[in-house]
Amino acid sequence: MKWATRASIHIDRAACAWLIRRHIDPSAEFLFLTDPSDLPDVATGFDMRGVDLSHHGGDCSFETILRRYDLDDPVLWKLAEIIHEADIDDERFDAPEAPGLDAMLRGLSMICTDDQILEVTGPMFDGLYEFFRRATLLGREPA
Amino acid sequence: MTERHGGVTGQWVLLSYRMPRHPSTPRIAVWRKLKRLGAAQISDGLVALPADARTREQLEWIAEEVTEATGSASIWIARPATVIAERELATAMAQGRAAEYAAIIAEAEAATRATIVERQSLARRLRAELRRIHRRDYFPPVERDQAAAAVAALTTDTTRASEARS
Repeated sequence: MKWATRASIHIDRAACAWLIRRHIDPSAEFLFLTDPSDLPDVATGFDMRGVDLSHHGGDCSFETILRRYDLDDPVLWKLAEIIHEADIDDERFDAPEAPGLDAMLRGLSMICTDDQILEVTGPMFDGLYEFFRRATLLGREPA
Repeated sequence: MTERHGGVTGQWVLLSYRMPRHPSTPRIAVWRKLKRLGAAQISDGLVALPADARTREQLEWIAEEVTEATGSASIWIARPATVIAERELATAMAQGRAAEYAAIIAEAEAATRATIVERQSLARRLRAELRRIHRRDYFPPVERDQAAAAVAALTTDTTRASEARS
């Protein structure tokens, strides 16, 4: 399946792409649009104005995708809190990891293409997921 | 900043919006977000920020929120026609931040007689507040560094005090 979002991706779009590939569509192909009105009919848009998989009622796009696809894994919802704060920074959640993640993604966007960012951040989000999966099991931070 | 010198004005992103008076909750939510972003109010329903990828995206999401709340909103990229107009806008924004920094300085300086523990906990809170202000500080006033120094002094003085005691 084809998925499309705005070019020059940042935290929310990078995290959504990871979420789509790992939990929704393993063979996902991503298009990065300079002009959002170029969204092809065959592609599902995300994190752009005028599409369903986007910001709604104070949620960032990552949270919207979790809701729309009924993904109720608590570890994904923990990641959602961090993505939300890194993206929107409205202090709805306590996520001390968020400012660091925001700085990393902004830096990557200065030296990488959008495809490269997905390549680099794939294992990064896998690692974050694993960290919080263990934390959830242990009830405290893993060593 | 260099592009703002020599009689050339910079790019600004504008949000023009209108929302129904009732219900008031979405109106207040939008107003709070704009305040948090440090947007300059040009007139009723028209706000501006210096244009970059982040400010533009943030205003676009607010525009979406306005539309979802049955209002109308549009995003514009514009340049002030004169350097004076731009300077006025920048000065007003810098003054807004300067007042916020001044409040931090006053609070930090008022704690000179507080205990070490109180000063450490105040420093933590003020640092978080400084980070929030930094994110909406587009034209840093001199008070920015003064506020950072006042907050830093809360903990460096604490170290000195504890060293003196031990």
